Amino acid sequence: MIAGLLLFLVLPLMVGGVVYALRRWGTLSSLLSIGTTLVLGTVILVLPLGRTVELWGRQIVMGGTVSFLGRELILEEVDRIAVAFLYLTASGIFLLAWQMSPRTLLFPVGLGMLSLFSGSLLVRPLIYAVLLVEIAIAVSVFALQVEGCPSARGALHYVAFSLLAMPGLLVIHWLMDRYALTPDNTVLLDTGAVLLFFSFALLMGSIPFHMWMPSVASDSEPLASAFVFTVNCGAIWFLLLAFLETYPDLSAAVRFAPFASGAGLAMVGVGGLMAASQRHLGRLMGYGALIDSGVALIALGIGSQRGLALALLCLLVRPFGLTLMAAGLRGLARECGHDLTLGTVRGLARRAPWSTCAFLLGGVSTAGLPVTAGFAGRWALYRVMGVSGLTSVLAMMLASLGLMIGVWRALHVLLAYSESPDEGAEEAKRETTERWPRAVVVLLAVAASVAVGLIPQVLAPTATRLAGFYTFFGR
Amino acid sequence: MPILNDLLAQAVFLAALPAVAGVFVTATLLVVSRDWRLNTIALALQYFFVTLLMTQVTRVEMAAVKALIGWVICLVFYLTEQQARAPARLDQSEGTLSLRNWFLARLEGWRHQGISARAAFSFMAALLVGVTVYVSSSAMPLPQLSQSLTMVCYLLAGLGIVLLGLSQDPLRVGVGLLMFLSGFDLFYVALEPSLVVTGFLGAISFVIALGTAYLKAAQLAASGEERAP
Repeated sequence: MIAGLLLFLVLPLMVGGVVYALRRWGTLSSLLSIGTTLVLGTVILVLPLGRTVELWGRQIVMGGTVSFLGRELILEEVDRIAVAFLYLTASGIFLLAWQMSPRTLLFPVGLGMLSLFSGSLLVRPLIYAVLLVEIAIAVSVFALQVEGCPSARGALHYVAFSLLAMPGLLVIHWLMDRYALTPDNTVLLDTGAVLLFFSFALLMGSIPFHMWMPSVASDSEPLASAFVFTVNCGAIWFLLLAFLETYPDLSAAVRFAPFASGAGLAMVGVGGLMAASQRHLGRLMGYGALIDSGVALIALGIGSQRGLALALLCLLVRPFGLTLMAAGLRGLARECGHDLTLGTVRGLARRAPWSTCAFLLGGVSTAGLPVTAGFAGRWALYRVMGVSGLTSVLAMMLASLGLMIGVWRALHVLLAYSESPDEGAEEAKRETTERWPRAVVVLLAVAASVAVGLIPQVLAPTATRLAGFYTFFGR
Repeated sequence: MPILNDLLAQAVFLAALPAVAGVFVTATLLVVSRDWRLNTIALALQYFFVTLLMTQVTRVEMAAVKALIGWVICLVFYLTEQQARAPARLDQSEGTLSLRNWFLARLEGWRHQGISARAAFSFMAALLVGVTVYVSSSAMPLPQLSQSLTMVCYLLAGLGIVLLGLSQDPLRVGVGLLMFLSGFDLFYVALEPSLVVTGFLGAISFVIALGTAYLKAAQLAASGEERAP
């Protein structure tokens, strides 16, 4: 009999090794990565918890507690959805990477990171989760670096900011253990709260620690950046919720909702302003991710079960926008040699129409405009906040406008002909370099985004169900 | 490992003031100097001193594991830098790489050019951090640690952050991250003396070293491509 949850730790690592060896055959390694993540993401959702199931002649039991290297691994309902989200998001990114950059290191490194993130969601106590997350973040450097690009700033910023967050999270565990023994000593609780805010501010890119987000987006491999903004940030969100759930004293005593709202508003404000004035398409995506994280924090700042459900809905729909945007950027980067400033992407829409389409629709979804996945989360949030949270709603709408201004300027340049008449005629004659498989994959991703935008009931109940597993707001 | 343990046990007499001074000197050197050979030696010595200090709060065997990880990291940095300098060395007509020649060249450089503005700034920054650390170690002592160990923790973390802020080069950023991690490690090993946690922290250090070495190699490859006609 196989303990099902070990599959999520061991199998991605093994497949990652095979994929690395097969890197030369891009399609094979891509399809292997997509297949593995898709199967594991589906299996964890479909197989019932605590019951033995026979799969391909082997008995597998999901759920329960397993001892691995002397530590406890526990699979509960909440972890099941979280792990499935990480795997299915990764499979979507891998699908786009198959067409955009099939020989990227993202496949083997991403699989390794998924294994570590799965471990971080399942392992107890939380200090091991923090350590596994930090290892995964350090490993992401290998996927983020663009081949042939001399700048390593994005990857370095990301690792540096994330590492600075680690001590606080590890010390919280010790502080809360001490507090359980001496409940009169509120200094321990206050110190724990400060460390919690500081550490997660660093990990989530809250202002003023947001510098790593535009850096990662501009200097790194676009799809690896999307992996960081969706899968890594998703794991960080689940880690935050696990902290709040595990340490009830911390979440009860500290009024973190106003802090979350404040941090979210700052992120949304700065993100919107900076996005409107961006001349680099990668940084535009980075500020889009910053706005999206800010919106999720504002939702969490509502301080109720409904707010938590909205934050989780924002998290679930985020990949639809950011991965599309990143795929578009990757396609455009192939045409212009990784320099994605407005000056160099002029007129590229004719050579790379599908990449342009992906970038545009990804941007629209990240801005939360109607008929795209991003709208599902935003609209629900606007309705819940209503008149009482008018300032926040206005700030979020303005940030969306800022991002759309950035996307609109980019589109204007991408569609423009060259200023010189000769070059313009030459450009008009040039054929697209994008073939039909890329078009199919981009259309699939766009269709998925539009489908979620039109039918948000696909994801909304999952977010509500997921929020129901966390009880810290109800205490 | 018994030999390493014995060596550490014999060197434990250094685990007070000499080790604190050693950490201060090596950390300052890492912030100020841009000479990769000097920096690799300083980092290796720093791991030795940190390991000695660690024997005050944990078992010698565990401290020895940390030392081993640290020295392997130094080896990674040394090999990466050596690879990075290989093309430059090939350009030189003479083999001027003996230790004596290198030291004489350094002396000559200092005598003629003086200390660069960048080095002076870095030294002042290190000094300021040192003063802040001295004051804050008595004002905000870390739990389970003596004042001298608190000072070392703050110093390593502080100078690590300074190095992060002042550097663009992946390996120097890596050294900054590792210094920060060493400072935290010294504190955390007293709070959580678990072998698994030690292993995980060692793994983080090692992955950071490999990652920054990879970034450096990628950077060099890219700049080589740019130089090529």
